[in-house]
Amino acid sequence: MTGWFADFMNHPATYLKSGWFQISITNLLVILLMLAIFAIAILLPFPQEKKEERGSTKETRK
Amino acid sequence: MSTAEKEIFDAAPWKGKTKKYDFVREGVIAVVVVTVLAIFFSLLFGSPDEPPLTFKGWAVSNSDNFYATAVQELAGTSGTATYGAPYNENGDGLNIGPLWMQRWAGVTRPIDTVNDFVIAPLSTQIMSSDIANALAAWKAASDSQKTTWATSYDDAITKVEGKISDVAAGDYGPVPVLAQGLTEMAKGGALDAALLSQGGFFQTDNTKQILFFGDGSYLDDAGTAANLQGGTWGMMNETGRYPGQAWLWLYSFWYQIPPFNNEESKPIGANADAYIMGLMGLLTLGLILIPVIPGIKTLPMRIPIHRGIWSQYYKSQGIKRRKK
Repeated sequence: MTGWFADFMNHPATYLKSGWFQISITNLLVILLMLAIFAIAILLPFPQEKKEERGSTKETRK
Repeated sequence: MSTAEKEIFDAAPWKGKTKKYDFVREGVIAVVVVTVLAIFFSLLFGSPDEPPLTFKGWAVSNSDNFYATAVQELAGTSGTATYGAPYNENGDGLNIGPLWMQRWAGVTRPIDTVNDFVIAPLSTQIMSSDIANALAAWKAASDSQKTTWATSYDDAITKVEGKISDVAAGDYGPVPVLAQGLTEMAKGGALDAALLSQGGFFQTDNTKQILFFGDGSYLDDAGTAANLQGGTWGMMNETGRYPGQAWLWLYSFWYQIPPFNNEESKPIGANADAYIMGLMGLLTLGLILIPVIPGIKTLPMRIPIHRGIWSQYYKSQGIKRRKK
């Protein structure tokens, strides 16, 4: 399947290399994206839960 | 909170507010979102579109290497011919100490490089009288005669480092004509189809092509050019700029460090695939057994990430972190 950026994507990748370590820029971006999503998932509060929590606290107080 | 209080707290039924939860609705939303994202990113990026490797491409781009590989197949000195199980009994295969798993599994996919890669494909063609005569001479010869012809020619090619035009004259029987015939067949594109042909309507088994490719430099060079070699984290990579299998980082990691990255180092480097498979098996077992491994199972107490996720709950319930 040909995508809008397929020409760009099918060119040889750029690699970062240091000693025995080597990684493609794309893989690095994907890994950083995964870590960022993980961090966001942990740090962001659940908005819905916040409302529920208020409700739940009220009920408990009753 | 004392241990007894904690047990009472944990065992007590939930007294807070409850809410109906539509599990099917949640699932449908997830599937729809993922489908939309998959379609969007497919339209945006497409998929890897590397031109296929073919015997025609190999024979045209590096005719001498193809020719030399064909001779190795006849001489029984190629990587496939000396691989051992599951293709033949000409090698011991990999082992971990006394565990010869490859040999124990036995020959389940027999491949005779002489007939499967050279003689049978050539026999399917309408051939010149030279090739027909060479085939007849090969078939009529004894096994030892065949080996002598092919091995002498293979040695002669190795001596001149694969440059066919520099090979010294000698008694190589019909081997040069057979190798030249197979090279011409490959250049015309007929070898690709002949190796794939299995007699069924759908041709889905590419084992022979891949093994033959692997015996020469064509596949190896293509792998190096695309950064797909195991020694350069290739297991994690994809052709072009597409992301690869980043989750295989740990598997790939072992191939970069000694002794695994040195094929000459015995016993581990020479059997790296087997040792790394065993090592990853052990690590996976460790992952499965985390809940029962002392020290590891209590890590959440020392690194309380879950308290960060559920911080609102802990705050609302007034539960503080347990002191050591």
